[in-house]
Amino acid sequence: MSDDFEKKLREHLHSEAQETREFPRRLRGRIRDGIAPRTRAGIAPQLALAGALVLVAVAVLAFRNPTIISVVTTGIKQFVQPSPSPTPQPFLCRDQSGGSGGLTATLTNIRPGSHAGDGYDRVVFDFNGGVPSWDLTRQESAIFTRDASGQQVTLDGSAGLKVVFRDAALAGAVPTDVTPRFSSIREIAQLGNFERVVTYGIGLSSSQCVRVLPLSNPSRLAIDVATSGSASTTAAPTPLPTLSPSGTDLGAFSCVDHSGGADNGLAMQLTVVRVAHQPGFDRIVFEFAPQPGSTAHLPAYTVSRQASAQFVKDPSGQPVTMRGSSGLRIVFHGASVSPTYTGSRDQTPSLPVVQEVEQLGDFEAVLSWGAGLSRASCLRTLELANPTRLVIDVQTP
Amino acid sequence: MDPTLGRVIERWRAGDREAFEEVMDRYGLQLLRTARLILRDPSLAEDAIQETFLKAWQRIGSLRDEDPGPWLTRIAMNESISLYRRRHRFQTLTERFGRLGGTRHEVPSEERLDLARALDQLTPEQRAAVALHYYQDLSVEETARIIRVPVDTVKSRLKTALRRLREVTGAGEAFA
Repeated sequence: MSDDFEKKLREHLHSEAQETREFPRRLRGRIRDGIAPRTRAGIAPQLALAGALVLVAVAVLAFRNPTIISVVTTGIKQFVQPSPSPTPQPFLCRDQSGGSGGLTATLTNIRPGSHAGDGYDRVVFDFNGGVPSWDLTRQESAIFTRDASGQQVTLDGSAGLKVVFRDAALAGAVPTDVTPRFSSIREIAQLGNFERVVTYGIGLSSSQCVRVLPLSNPSRLAIDVATSGSASTTAAPTPLPTLSPSGTDLGAFSCVDHSGGADNGLAMQLTVVRVAHQPGFDRIVFEFAPQPGSTAHLPAYTVSRQASAQFVKDPSGQPVTMRGSSGLRIVFHGASVSPTYTGSRDQTPSLPVVQEVEQLGDFEAVLSWGAGLSRASCLRTLELANPTRLVIDVQTP
Repeated sequence: MDPTLGRVIERWRAGDREAFEEVMDRYGLQLLRTARLILRDPSLAEDAIQETFLKAWQRIGSLRDEDPGPWLTRIAMNESISLYRRRHRFQTLTERFGRLGGTRHEVPSEERLDLARALDQLTPEQRAAVALHYYQDLSVEETARIIRVPVDTVKSRLKTALRRLREVTGAGEAFA
């Protein structure tokens, strides 16, 4: 009987916790502000005093020798020149965010540029009033949804980036659609300007890793997109095998993380996990069934590559080492293991690449599985219906 | 520790803010939810988690070669309990004097509370134990390690908390 009460308590706590649906942006901003380097603020009074003394000294010198003015103005010009590009950052194959909240920034221009010789295309967003809070999301298609209206818009390309600026306004002269048709960046189009949220979509020729550089003087955000085959700019955790040129009807393998599905609030139930070898690839299948009274859909998922077969269980944080030297972490949002699931939660099929598939977590409708691989491999994901399945094909040598 | 996470921690140790934010992405929501279960107030929970991450940023040197999850949870639990105590000092004193006086807050039978309100009746230490054990599904031993108290203390807190919850929800009678 006691177990019933504890079960009820556990369910209540999970339900209460679910009321907090996300980590608030304002909290992130507060923490970000809190870890800002304090040295500059701490020496501000000293800098102001030093500046005042320099001005006095210059005034005295100018009075005695007017040529000093040209020397000083040259120095000032150098000082206020646009900031040089910072030390090159790595290209990251994941979503990114940054900027500062609480600004009254205005987007004044969008400038695409090709740096094909350096292995990337760049688009620069110019701002007045600082670079506002921004989110950059990668997607596997160039189809976007316009804010407010919900209309779909298809940009040039086969992959995309969505950039959202918050607390930002739009100057009248900013172009709403630019088509540079570069190697990577094909088109840039405004998707929304609604309640101080400005959204742009960037159509890409293919899914590529991205580097984002916030710059000052003037304030601008530079988004660099790696061009195809620019090995020096990719940021894969380990050297990955090259893609086989032999495409199949099922689609090509790609050496990037995959995501898809949708979280519509009703958790799907995992009913089957299958692993098998096919010519050219190992296949992992996750099969789902809807809860009674709800419609079937594939839950939102991410398939992330990693350079080891070590994982962390969710939520205990316990480390798990699977067979192999590389891995995949598969996370479903809005899914849990069916109460009637009878399959193994730790399979060791010892296929050419897939060595082990194990459940890592089933917590708060977030379901995690890991796959230990004998080598880093490219992937293909297929979303299938009747029954609802996510198929992950791992390329074999 | 997962080598990928290990590399993120190393970057964080070197002062990389982006790495720190990756850790925030990974653990923030769960810590916030846990803090809210303890503090019973969304704004206070956000304050506690803000302090948690600011302290973590400053004290990264004290994180050994281990998963940062339990370490962050420990800071979050301490911050939550400490914040609760600061905000409810008067209430705490009242409770203490009440106990010294030998009186005990009895819940009248007509005021049977639902679980949400019943949780309000627990001490923050009891709620921390309940949240870690029943929400994060940690074992009693793991809970004890995180909040740095003996296993028997965790057992005692859980037992007392359950008894109190049953009492104020009326479940005690049903299960008697």
